[in-house]
Amino acid sequence: MSDLLLAVGFGLVVASVLALASVGLSLQFGITNYVNFAYGDFMAVGAYIAWTVNTGPWHLNIWVALVIGSLSVGILAVLLNQFLLAPFARRFQKLFYILIVTFGLSLILLNIVSSIWGDEVQRYSMPDENPFHLGPFLFTGQQLIVIGIAIVLMVLIHLMLTTTRLGKSMRAMSDNTTLAMTSGIDTRRITTFTWFLSGTLAGLAGTVLGITQASITPGSGETFLFVIFAAVIVGGIGSIYGAIIGAVIIGLATEISALFIEASYKLDIAFVILILALLFRPNGLFARAGKA
Amino acid sequence: MSPLVYYLFTLAFFVFAYCILTWGLNLQFGEGGILNFAYIAFVAIGAYITGVTSMGSPIAGQAGSGQTYILGWALPFPIPLILGGLAAAAFALLVAVIAFRRLRTDYLAIVLISLSLVLYDVINNFVPLFNGADGLSNVPEPMADVLGLDANSFVPFFTGVALIVALIMWFLMSRITRSPAGRTLRAIRDDPEAAAALGKNVFRHQLTAMLIGSFYAGVGGGLIIEFSGAFNTSAWLPGETFLIFAAAIVGGIGNNKGMILGALIVPVLFTQLPKFLPDVPGHPALILNVAAMAIGVLLIFVLWFRPQGIIPERRRLSKLPMATPTSAATASAISTPPMVGQDTQ
Repeated sequence: MSDLLLAVGFGLVVASVLALASVGLSLQFGITNYVNFAYGDFMAVGAYIAWTVNTGPWHLNIWVALVIGSLSVGILAVLLNQFLLAPFARRFQKLFYILIVTFGLSLILLNIVSSIWGDEVQRYSMPDENPFHLGPFLFTGQQLIVIGIAIVLMVLIHLMLTTTRLGKSMRAMSDNTTLAMTSGIDTRRITTFTWFLSGTLAGLAGTVLGITQASITPGSGETFLFVIFAAVIVGGIGSIYGAIIGAVIIGLATEISALFIEASYKLDIAFVILILALLFRPNGLFARAGKA
Repeated sequence: MSPLVYYLFTLAFFVFAYCILTWGLNLQFGEGGILNFAYIAFVAIGAYITGVTSMGSPIAGQAGSGQTYILGWALPFPIPLILGGLAAAAFALLVAVIAFRRLRTDYLAIVLISLSLVLYDVINNFVPLFNGADGLSNVPEPMADVLGLDANSFVPFFTGVALIVALIMWFLMSRITRSPAGRTLRAIRDDPEAAAALGKNVFRHQLTAMLIGSFYAGVGGGLIIEFSGAFNTSAWLPGETFLIFAAAIVGGIGNNKGMILGALIVPVLFTQLPKFLPDVPGHPALILNVAAMAIGVLLIFVLWFRPQGIIPERRRLSKLPMATPTSAATASAISTPPMVGQDTQ
């Protein structure tokens, strides 16, 4: 029983990382209607920028580094959209051109990261902490902060989408871009902002992944990508609340499964769930018409 | 045999093998519109199965001693090669049955890319399957003992074998793409709804393209393991899928001749040229990183400036004046109704 509770505790940590990542991916998908296969590498870029800020000459606190790393990826995402992705999306009607471009972009980013920072496993400089009991669970302070960040950001994004003009425009555009445009919504500005938000969340997720796994490698974001896809598809692609629920399901399932199977296969459970979801509920728990 | 001649034979072998690989991908992606980002996983399955069906059981003194793997048959060439192709096709059938129905292009690409990552993980970690991360080695050179070939004469011999296999595959593929089924496949690629409305079974045609394309992937992979004698997970990193995609796109998707050109230019340029460049001191992997980036950049540039590739797809249009595809996106914008898309050669 105590093993199970420990697994649930760490599952919540994984779910927090996943929730940040899958909401970022899902937001952008909802607006632009194509999947960003370079998302895992966005995460890696954020993780490494934060690492340089954290361990380089500035030697800033990890949480300050986290903010700087995330915002840099947000800016990178806006630039990539402006000069690469948006022109392709405008020019080609067929979906597969833009998908190949994001696929190619992931190769480019991965290799830029590994030629700048090398392939060795890196770690953030953080104080070692002893885990402490919180109710039935066992957490370190850093893990609790990660869970806290995820909860606060999810609430903020929810409030933004439901109460602000910007968020309502995003939802409108996600439902029907043409209709949104004819209603006077500046769709280009919304798209730019969405990429900024998506990139920032990717950078954030990449860094907290590095914090919770205590290691960063150039490929860590990419290998995590299918877990994110699983969360997004289980929840229903393009749906923000679905992405959060999907993240919790996948996070708990992978960690609890590690009690029964060898730990090196635990992430593969996410793929099994992805397949089951496709077989029995291909539109996700929170299906959105016309997205699948 | 001088090292240069040896090297040129090796190069020629890889061009033939890559021709087979790009034809298979072209049938799936160029003709069928299936974005198979897991293509290299099917190549790997072909290679592994060819390996374990030709190496014999892993006992001391045999080729596979010190390794653990399934099957362990010692079948004569070319049976392992065909089994490799069939295994890849069987795996494709499994994937297609689960994922093909009701899935949009990008969903399918997500499933496929996830599949390749998971398969990579499992093959790397689960040693009893294909000897884990070390992979298979000491795969016997096919027919070398029968013909009394040594390490020197095997290379030109097997390059010749690869040429013959490639010619057979070329013949079959040109028959497939010219057939009515090939035409239907292109119609589905250009407009699945229209094709379905005209009574074409979209699922069945895409499934066929997936199976045949994967068979090509498996045979290509089988040839590679038989030639190099070893295969492990470092041989099928995701970057390899790009290499084949780039070859197909540069050559001109939807055109089998273009694939030959692509297979000649892209893999040779991006895998061989870096070997001759001096290492940058302190950054041993930098050249390889830059080569990989260059593949990605090339892919994006070709898609933007010449999406139809070097040899564009032949416009299989009737002489009716109804459709004038614009120059941009030619490869995809041939939007005539499929029934009109008749061969006018």
